[in-house]
Amino acid sequence: MLHRRAIGGLGLVWLVAMAGAAFAQVEPAAKFDTSKTMTLEGIVTAVDWRNPHAHIFFNVKDKNGAVANWAAELANTIVLEKSGWSARTLRAGDAIGVRGHPARDGTRQISGDTVTQTATGQKVLFAKDTAPPPPKTPRAAPRGPDGHPLLGGPDGYWGYPSATALVQSGVNVRMDAEGLLANLADAPKVAPFQPWALGVYRHRQERQLRDDPMWLNCKPPGGVRYLQSPLGFQLIEDPVRQRVFALLGSGNHNYRIVYTDGRKNVGQVRGDDDNPLYYGRGVGKWDGDAFVVETTGFNEDFWFTNGGLPHTNLLSMTERFTRPNFDTLHYEVTVNDPGAYTQPWSASWDLRWVDGQELPVFFCQENRS
Amino acid sequence: MQEGSVWGRLVSRTARVLAVALVAVLVGAGAFAQEGHPLKGSWLGTWASNAALGDNILLILDWDGKAITGMINPGTDDIPIAKASLDPKGWMVTLEADAKDKAGKSVHYVIQGHIENLELPNRSIVGTWSGGNGKGAFEASRQ
Repeated sequence: MLHRRAIGGLGLVWLVAMAGAAFAQVEPAAKFDTSKTMTLEGIVTAVDWRNPHAHIFFNVKDKNGAVANWAAELANTIVLEKSGWSARTLRAGDAIGVRGHPARDGTRQISGDTVTQTATGQKVLFAKDTAPPPPKTPRAAPRGPDGHPLLGGPDGYWGYPSATALVQSGVNVRMDAEGLLANLADAPKVAPFQPWALGVYRHRQERQLRDDPMWLNCKPPGGVRYLQSPLGFQLIEDPVRQRVFALLGSGNHNYRIVYTDGRKNVGQVRGDDDNPLYYGRGVGKWDGDAFVVETTGFNEDFWFTNGGLPHTNLLSMTERFTRPNFDTLHYEVTVNDPGAYTQPWSASWDLRWVDGQELPVFFCQENRS
Repeated sequence: MQEGSVWGRLVSRTARVLAVALVAVLVGAGAFAQEGHPLKGSWLGTWASNAALGDNILLILDWDGKAITGMINPGTDDIPIAKASLDPKGWMVTLEADAKDKAGKSVHYVIQGHIENLELPNRSIVGTWSGGNGKGAFEASRQ
């Protein structure tokens, strides 16, 4: 009963705090005005330890003595917990100071860039999740009975992508981790867009990516997007069933199947032929030490990259996975979508092996107001 | 004979209305997400004061990577889209199609408008239509 009341009260606080906001979960840069910074002092009323962002609710007294409840948005709980924090780091009644950017829509929300416990002056709840240092001596990639490098294993997952947004090779443009361009004039450089696709990309960028269906509607991070997620993925080779599974740390633990049984890349009638997929239909084979995957059959219900690059159902991808050493996965992709781009284009990045750890458990909880 | 003609027109009109209603029900269950080409999909709306074809219109549009294709009011009297364009500057839309009027005379229809709420699955095309001696307001929303 108490629990129900607590949840109900928290929900009420949430509604009050979010009043006026169309959706609670959008890209951080879309939600907060990074051109402005503010500092608030207050008393914690609740901590909402949920994904995709944890929140602290706290009461702030203005100079006239009026109290208003604010919400400070933090990183996701996976990152926070890996950084050593928990839902009990702060408790109701704690005095805190919060420094960050105010919400663009004028609601009582602030990005919790710096949270300080007033009593101790200690900074808390900051993300300090960084890639593990590389070993002093590179370790050789493990190999399976067939002599090929193991794509996954022995025990761990791939994370810490060296790039978190897709840009065609050879182009250097500044953008944040979510793919938001520092300079919108750079948009045509990102990929060889058809005119409509450039227009859509610019529109999404101008709106600070706030329409991203992965955040708004918990749509899967299909296409290459999961390969650039900080939440990582596992590659599980199943020689008996002749397929490779990609298990995602993001995307509500979605999975992708790449068939290695030599089948042709054609849809199954009344199956994925009629119902194109978020992760497409992938068939793979070894080319020396590279695992090469051809994928088609994507639907158009999602953004296939961070940053809002559009695609159509004509999208196909050629991917090459190589493991040059134990701790590195090198990924190359050629994007071929004649519906959105004037020519095929490529990009590549590396991922780090996270040794001995389980894939993070992340679920998008669609925290709408 | 005249009675048969009236009956025939009534049947034809009823069939057309039913066809439009059926497709509208099938596609109108909810606005499907569509993050690809902005015009692709089914659009339901009105071309006001269209005496020849009625006020209601259903557009089915597709994008094959090079051209926008589609038809108006799919069914027994569907009208193929002959020409279509989308200009990302202002998201201006032009659709052209040739239909037959009741006397069998060819009528060239032109729809011109712009896309509103581009980012939404149920975005709209708002503008005007003209054809034959008629013209009026046009509005359709993606289903």
